[in-house]
Amino acid sequence: MATTRCMRLLVSGALTASSLAAVSFGSLGGASAAAAASLPKCSVSALGKATGVVDVDFWESASQANQTTLQALTNTFNSSQSKVHVNLVQQAGYDDTWNKVQAGLTNGQLPDIAQLEDQRTQGVIDSGAFLPVQSCMNASKYSTSDFLTRPLNYWKVNGVQWALPFAVSAPIVFYNKLAFTKAGLNPNNPPLDMSALLLDAKALKASGSGMGLVLDPWHLETWLASANQLFVNNSNGRSARATKGSFNTSIGVQIFSDLKELVTSGDATTNSSTGPDEFDNLLGIGSGKYGMTIETSAALGTVTTLLSQYPNVQLGVGPFPVLNPNIRGGIEPGGSALYISAKSSPAKQAAAWEYDEFLESSSSVATWAAGTGYIPTRKSSTQTAIIQRLWQSDPYYKVAYNQMLNGLNSPGTSGSVIGPYADVRAALLAAEQSMYLSNVSPKAAVSSAESNVNNIISQYNQRLGVS
Amino acid sequence: MHADATALAPTSRHSAATEAASRRDRRHRRIRKVISYLLLSVGAVVILFPIYIAIVNSLLAPSQIAHQPPPFFPTHPMWSTYPTAWNEGHLGLYLRNSAIMTAIIVVGQVVTAILAAYAFAFLSFPFRKTLFIVFLSTLMIPFEVTLITNLDTVTRLGWYNTFQGLTVPFLATGFGTFLLRQSFLQIPKDLSEAATLDGYGHWRFMTRVAVPLARPAVAAVAVFSFLASWNNYLWPLVVTGDNNNVRTVQIGLKLLANTEVQNINVTLAGTIIAIVPLVILLLVFQKQLVRGLTAGAVK
Amino acid sequence: MTVAVSAGAGRAAPAAPRHRSLRSRKKREAALAYLFILPALLIFSVFVFYPFLRNFKLALYENPPYPNLPSHYVGLHQAATVLSSSAFLQSLLSTILFVLMVVPTGLFLGLALAVAAHRKLQGIAIYRVIFSSTVVSSVAVAALVLGTLMNPVVGLLPWLGINPTPSILQNPTWALPAVALMTVWQFLGLSFIIMSAGLQSVPDDLLEAARIDGASAWTRFWRITVPMLSPTLFFGVVVGTIYAFQSFGQIDILIGPSNAAGVHANVLIYYIYESLQIDNNAGQAAVLSIVLFVITLSLTLVQMRYLERRVTYAR
Repeated sequence: MATTRCMRLLVSGALTASSLAAVSFGSLGGASAAAAASLPKCSVSALGKATGVVDVDFWESASQANQTTLQALTNTFNSSQSKVHVNLVQQAGYDDTWNKVQAGLTNGQLPDIAQLEDQRTQGVIDSGAFLPVQSCMNASKYSTSDFLTRPLNYWKVNGVQWALPFAVSAPIVFYNKLAFTKAGLNPNNPPLDMSALLLDAKALKASGSGMGLVLDPWHLETWLASANQLFVNNSNGRSARATKGSFNTSIGVQIFSDLKELVTSGDATTNSSTGPDEFDNLLGIGSGKYGMTIETSAALGTVTTLLSQYPNVQLGVGPFPVLNPNIRGGIEPGGSALYISAKSSPAKQAAAWEYDEFLESSSSVATWAAGTGYIPTRKSSTQTAIIQRLWQSDPYYKVAYNQMLNGLNSPGTSGSVIGPYADVRAALLAAEQSMYLSNVSPKAAVSSAESNVNNIISQYNQRLGVS
Repeated sequence: MHADATALAPTSRHSAATEAASRRDRRHRRIRKVISYLLLSVGAVVILFPIYIAIVNSLLAPSQIAHQPPPFFPTHPMWSTYPTAWNEGHLGLYLRNSAIMTAIIVVGQVVTAILAAYAFAFLSFPFRKTLFIVFLSTLMIPFEVTLITNLDTVTRLGWYNTFQGLTVPFLATGFGTFLLRQSFLQIPKDLSEAATLDGYGHWRFMTRVAVPLARPAVAAVAVFSFLASWNNYLWPLVVTGDNNNVRTVQIGLKLLANTEVQNINVTLAGTIIAIVPLVILLLVFQKQLVRGLTAGAVK
Repeated sequence: MTVAVSAGAGRAAPAAPRHRSLRSRKKREAALAYLFILPALLIFSVFVFYPFLRNFKLALYENPPYPNLPSHYVGLHQAATVLSSSAFLQSLLSTILFVLMVVPTGLFLGLALAVAAHRKLQGIAIYRVIFSSTVVSSVAVAALVLGTLMNPVVGLLPWLGINPTPSILQNPTWALPAVALMTVWQFLGLSFIIMSAGLQSVPDDLLEAARIDGASAWTRFWRITVPMLSPTLFFGVVVGTIYAFQSFGQIDILIGPSNAAGVHANVLIYYIYESLQIDNNAGQAAVLSIVLFVITLSLTLVQMRYLERRVTYAR
């Protein structure tokens, strides 16, 4: 056990040196001047010129619990002025919203503002369906200096801000302090890196529980980001269109081999991130099947309520365990952002921007974060009474915020921009699965994942006519 | 009493054997009867079991549902799942929409099939044979093969998210035309000749004589058409979007399952609500159902 | 058969057809016929034949990932790529396996139920209603109800000791059989009704005569009932195959578009839907639609050719 740990440190030292060279830092702000010149127009004055109330349709997919908070915020906005009226049109989920937008491109039924999932950024750009929010920001001289860097950068491509972050989360560790104690582990020390995670899982398994590992490609990407490893080329698709994967490196293989050891040793049991057992890793903590899991920070509220019903569970929360503490990286954000339609009339676009500004104001961000458990994306919002009260009553809500605030800000830690992102994630997931189900070696799995990803991206680019 | 006993007393050894044989036969028959009922009950249990479990689960609280082994009887039935499913699942509205869509399609199919079948059966006209083959050829083209362009056509006509979009592509049926023509052809010639002599025009003959005589076939077409369109999933999925005034109950159930993914009891309550009207129809229209589904099976 | 063509009801036909030439009468009849056929023919032209033919054109154009962008001509290149792709071959295999799992099982069980219910017992009517009941369960209801039974958390499988990893509907080996099982359940009602109707056509006196002649129940079944059931079995296979081929709703509800390919439940129809609605790839969908047509056409022809030869019709 000790020797394995030593070996890890040696290897990670070598990796540190190579990874620092892997990322080109300055390319994020690159072509912003040129981009600004060719941005479509967002005429914020159109709202003033409009007669009567301007109706804005907002396609959102807030869950039942979060819907109340969103409705309250929207009601406040609607009643605070008489120019814009926002209608919430609840969709069944992120995928549903996107599919409807696609269908809307032909049948004309489109929203004025939409909440779209993180993986849709390149799709938004390529389809031309939405207005880059940079246009409206420029028109109203909007400042984003108060925003957390990485969530803001996630939705900035080639210097252009396409959307402002809305429902942001990141994976964190949920664990049962009582199970930790039973396993001889310090209940106040959740695993902070991958090696500790493996050791803790082993101890938990030996004492009767183990770890629940949900099969989510987003977690794999987060591990890459925690080691500042690019997922795809061209600065994760931010300085230019991504054309192939970049993760078939020692870091990528390290992640896969660590996970393979975790699962095949029996210390962790897997479950899917969609379908009927998508919450198995969390429910398992309640039933005693698992002592720990990794799950999105957005679930903190639900998890707290759920696990409070179990007397044998004392909930503990820790930050996402980085791949290697000797490599400086950052936890990348995930979630969704608000996009303004390019097909709406100028008045509606201006109205949508008004609503967007409202939702992104410091107090709205605080209310939204406190009511949902999403990460407050503005630094000033954390100073509000509502967030301070939240953090005092439940300090666990701070964990996700802190890991988003701290860490390296670079293309490698800001997430990727990929056209066929959903298919790419599916390929990554399939490769991970192949290690567990068909005993494929980590090296082979990563290599086949990357070649699949390359195929998917090149087919997409060919269909688009840009390859 | 005494007389009966004497009457029953076997008069010869031969009848004693037959008597024993018939008693054995009766026992065998009774055993076979019991076995038959047993097998039938096993079959019934297997078929009804999923519905039973659905009803049970729809009345359980979320914490009871995840319990292993699963409870087979709701000790504290949670009746509130049904109003929740009805209201939040908008099931009343969706059932209405399905009913409207189905009614339009059934009427449309029956009417167009009657008209076309009448022409094929009673009228002579050039290309009659060719056109009938054309009608039959539609049976070779499954709906999914026409999906792409139909969606395009309907969208261009502005019928996306409307009842027209849901129903118009289905208003004709090759199968129904075939069945009704078959039925019309069985009407004796003397009848049609007599009607002609009585001065019946085609319209009158069709409505007063042919259709009433073909009523079983018409009912069969109606039933078949009803089931197919009520059950339709793919087309309503692609041609309706976010419109509660048009969304059918099949898609509504899927939506309910997605939104209530953590409250499986509510989803199941929704499915039970959705199936009740059909079960009632099954009980009332059994005969027509069987006829409609087996037309073509035994010939 | 000449029938007088009169416009309104009740008007007597002319006593002698001297004033109307035969040609004019025939023309009127033809006009009426075309009028009667017109509604159906119009619907067929617009919504069956035109879409079918247009697939051949769509297959030649490659579509960009977003529906509002223009497509470009690629000729047969697209068809070649699609038909040689592993995704297509996987889809084809899944479809064939699915049909093979659903149809024989469904027909066999339907026949078993029909035989069991083909007796004059008290209360048999109730059993017959129960056995045919699944025919009114819509695909959404059936999928959700049986999906719950197979749910790894709330279902029956853990209690029975069946705990596959991943769970059954996410499992590349077991997802398709699970959906097939659910489809068989839904198909049972229809299968029972068809087989029942078939059994009723087997003349009782024939069976009675055989019984008197000493034939066992087994012999009677295989030598008399089954051959006389051949047209029904033939019909059942045709209907069942079409039923299985058109299975869509259950895959959408139980598995969903993001998982279907991964768990090998991407049957042809589902692949067409995904290509069209999810990937905006109308060209690919058109190629697949043509394949679907060719398959169903050949199946129907094959069934008619071979099965009909083996079918023994009653006198």
